[in-house]
Amino acid sequence: MSDDLAWLTATQASRAFAARKLSPTELVRALLARIERLDPKLNAFIRLDAETALAAAATAEAEIAAGRHRGPLHGVPVGIKDIIDVVGLPTTCHSKVMPNTPATADAVVVGKLRQAGAVIMGKLSTHEFAIGGPSFDLPWPPARNPWNRDHHPGGSSSGSGVGLGAGFFPLALGTDTGGSVRNPASACGIVGLKPTYGLVSRRGVFPLAFSLDHVGPMTRDVADNALLLDAIAGHDPHDPGSAASSSRDFARGLERGVRGLRIGYVRHFHEQDMPAHPEVAAGLDAVARTLAGEGAILSDITLPSLGEFAAVNRVILNAEAWTIHAPWLRERPGDYGQLARRRLMPGAFLTAGDLLAAQRRRAEMIAAVDAALEEVDVLLCASSMDPASRIEDADETARTYPRQARAPFNTTGHPALAMMAGLSRDGLPLSVQFVARHFADATLFQVARAWERASGVDRLHPDLS
Amino acid sequence: MDKLLIEALARQAGLDRALAEFPDCVLAAAKQAIGRSSEINTPTSPAVEPWPPMKVGAGA
Repeated sequence: MSDDLAWLTATQASRAFAARKLSPTELVRALLARIERLDPKLNAFIRLDAETALAAAATAEAEIAAGRHRGPLHGVPVGIKDIIDVVGLPTTCHSKVMPNTPATADAVVVGKLRQAGAVIMGKLSTHEFAIGGPSFDLPWPPARNPWNRDHHPGGSSSGSGVGLGAGFFPLALGTDTGGSVRNPASACGIVGLKPTYGLVSRRGVFPLAFSLDHVGPMTRDVADNALLLDAIAGHDPHDPGSAASSSRDFARGLERGVRGLRIGYVRHFHEQDMPAHPEVAAGLDAVARTLAGEGAILSDITLPSLGEFAAVNRVILNAEAWTIHAPWLRERPGDYGQLARRRLMPGAFLTAGDLLAAQRRRAEMIAAVDAALEEVDVLLCASSMDPASRIEDADETARTYPRQARAPFNTTGHPALAMMAGLSRDGLPLSVQFVARHFADATLFQVARAWERASGVDRLHPDLS
Repeated sequence: MDKLLIEALARQAGLDRALAEFPDCVLAAAKQAIGRSSEINTPTSPAVEPWPPMKVGAGA
């Protein structure tokens, strides 16, 4: 297959389908062949559902041919993180703990993708229960970075990031509780959005921490990310965290540029709180300079420290996760991998006072970010402080994994997008993160697209030949 | 924290089996949790309330 099909965006595929230059079946067949050839080295998939994908592609092809075009995702392949229910397939959570029984219904987000005519390719690797990884003691191996398979692809939505980075599909769903969409986006050089809390339904998604969990779109370029968010956003009366928002058309400002837009650069995150790798810091400065050159008005902004954000996030996450996993941890601790066991048990040792202290400070942190976003339109800050660690070096991974600036925005619920800032000297992706006001997800796409257009980062792909 | 105290807290949480089979994991988990709230600047004003746990508004 030509690389042109592997790197096709959803937008390009949809145009090609409409122009009868390509059919969904041709695209799915080509991608399945690529997956068969390359995934044994990358482990993006827990379960590839080739037969169902080909049937869905054939249906989409017939509908498009008959003039019943459902929209820009019709016939476009998508991968689903395996903590999200897809009817007829088990939701493994990458764990021995989960029963091997098929889901009886689609998650709301999967149902919306089916409505849009997307072709579901299968279920993707994750860290165990979206927290324990990368691990080598689970029923499936961990996914590996397509830019260098000796490196971690980020997590927990690892397979989503790897599959996009490797050209297995143009769209994927991930979830993000402390940064799990944006970490693989950063490590694999793709685009990952944690939407505003409550914008996307979580029903049918195995929870990690109720008040921090988000489902997020992952893509290879910014325009596709906006399209995917359009498809999955919307109020769900049966999700207690769902907002009554009717926001749509997230791509509306995509090509507006950043002239006159006020961007607050949160330098202290990576200069003082967690000093970043020099190449990461240089990459962030380059993004800031480029956006200023495009007409944005840059200023420095101060938020609470990363260390404190991390502490608040962890106390809440640990407490909420413990209430979900306590019965299994009591009865079947040996069915978890070591990392998940260690990361899910801390909640047993927290007090009610710990949790309430974190929740009260969280209220102040939300107000602090809101106040900063009164001064500026968007925040620019680090995502990961280091390029991806070597996956088999547990010490390096343990050292670098917490060195990130993503968890603050799970704590506050603000929309946050991570994408490539360039490549390191070793050829690994560097990353940047943009943050906007609640429900201003479209503004994030506007800024991200300005960076993408100026830098051409969406045209960088790993050599997997 | 004292190992005996951690073991007592683990038993109180129903983690007897984990304690027997994976004592290092229990110890590591306890160390992550204990003292974590000391890293938080807990609000001093009683007007700062902890709920709702997560509401960001209704949006457009």
